Amino acid sequence: MKGGTTRRVGTVALSIAVASLIAGVSCSSTATSGSGGSPSTAASTHLTVLAASSLTQAFGQIAKDFDEAHPSATITFSFGPSDGLATQIQNGVPADVYASASETWMDAVQKDPGVSGRTDFARNRLVIITPKDDPAGIGSIQDLGKPDVKLVLAAKDVPAGTYAREALANAGIGTQAEANVVSNEEDDQAVVQKVLLGEADAGIVYVTDLTPDVESQVRAVEIPKSVNVIATYPIAVVSGSEQPALAQDFADYVTGEAGQQTLHRFGFLPAS
Amino acid sequence: MRSVKRPRTHPADETGSRTPAGILVVALVGFAFVLLPLVAIVAQAPWPRAESVLTSATTVTALRLSLVVATSAAIVDLVLGVPVAFVLARNEFPGKRIARALVVLPLVLPPVVAGIGLLAALGRKGLLGGVLGVLRIQLPFTTAGAVVATAFVSFPLVVLAVESGLRSIDPRLEGAARAMGARPWVVVRRVTLPLVVPQIVAGAVLAWARALGEFGATLMFAGNLRGSTQTLPLALFEVSQTDPKGALFIALLLVLISVAVLVVTLRGRLLEQR
Repeated sequence: MKGGTTRRVGTVALSIAVASLIAGVSCSSTATSGSGGSPSTAASTHLTVLAASSLTQAFGQIAKDFDEAHPSATITFSFGPSDGLATQIQNGVPADVYASASETWMDAVQKDPGVSGRTDFARNRLVIITPKDDPAGIGSIQDLGKPDVKLVLAAKDVPAGTYAREALANAGIGTQAEANVVSNEEDDQAVVQKVLLGEADAGIVYVTDLTPDVESQVRAVEIPKSVNVIATYPIAVVSGSEQPALAQDFADYVTGEAGQQTLHRFGFLPAS
Repeated sequence: MRSVKRPRTHPADETGSRTPAGILVVALVGFAFVLLPLVAIVAQAPWPRAESVLTSATTVTALRLSLVVATSAAIVDLVLGVPVAFVLARNEFPGKRIARALVVLPLVLPPVVAGIGLLAALGRKGLLGGVLGVLRIQLPFTTAGAVVATAFVSFPLVVLAVESGLRSIDPRLEGAARAMGARPWVVVRRVTLPLVVPQIVAGAVLAWARALGEFGATLMFAGNLRGSTQTLPLALFEVSQTDPKGALFIALLLVLISVAVLVVTLRGRLLEQR
């Protein structure tokens, strides 16, 4: 009897294995912000916001505030790298609002499938982070070009990665730093994680990634203004949105006084 | 595996005609559900670009790395997994059932859990991080790290396959060898292992294929860098961020490898197991 059971377990396991050969790949984080404790409001409207992962905390707060003003609206966020989000939109992922960490990828979405009400709503700048014990001795951006620094950046098409490479080139150490890159991460949040874990000697992220929680666990090294790159964040309603009016309301809220205050609180610079 | 011949006279036609129409319809949907994504990969791929994507530095480097990583992982799995299978099949000890369950766990564990677990164990600040640091061994961000991550997730496949093989050996064969004075090692080498070669091969191939497809654990533990840790699934993901159509060719490459593994090695085995 026992042998039979084992064999059956084996068969089941093999079946599982075969199934997992054709394994899927999915990596964007999705968060739903519901309004309070009424999950099944009769006339609730659904808004899907695709936003750069650097906006995760700030937009989480903005959504809460927006929900209070629009109790019937439920916002579903998909945070991820701006390039990946733009590609998703172009491939028909339902999206009402797109908030990008770069003009490049908003340009792409504006071309296909089109947007309306595009407005720059925030700016951001870069900062170097290292583990608290700073194993590689990073005192300035120049030090990222030293041999044997384990540098982690966002991938080159991800805005955070594009900007970081620009800043390194501005500092005149583009080639040396690129040779030090040990991993191209999916987005800025993944870079933060690798530094938090202590695996990377240094990473380049946005100053807004230095939430109080993160800031207490890493060491930040400022990048001088002369070489730093300023990221501009545009927001727009995506063509084909089923709730264009509500989507525009959300975009207006972000660019409005309340939204701007929240963004400021989370470390973003005003758009202009 | 002893191939027990089942009667070939399945009354298939008879039972087939009794399957209610509702089940047939849902089954059809089920078949379509499994096949559709594969068909779509082929149908949606921009074929005029096939050559440029498949010969791009990203794809070629990732393919080469994937073969190295998956093969190394399968070897690690064999070296560690066959002895584990021996102990599970032959030794009685308290907590054995728990031990087996734990060994199988990586199979059902979310890969991202495997990744963070490996970091917690073998990362620079992990449990063994200090020891590895003294030995100047670094796993995260290295090909060795990708091997460790993929070996971990595929480990149970070798253990399960070999253990089931060991259990199916007629104990009289080993008994006879011992009676003729063979030492334990000789029995293992000359009698036991040759009898479970099919299971060892099957386990190794399954582990190889599983390792080839691993994404989450590799990304989490080893990172993503062309040439050292960017295996095909990671390359697929990176390319898909900006060129999802082109990424379909990398997907196709992985599908073809998987199908080849199924067809060539598991022919008899899985199909005959009802």
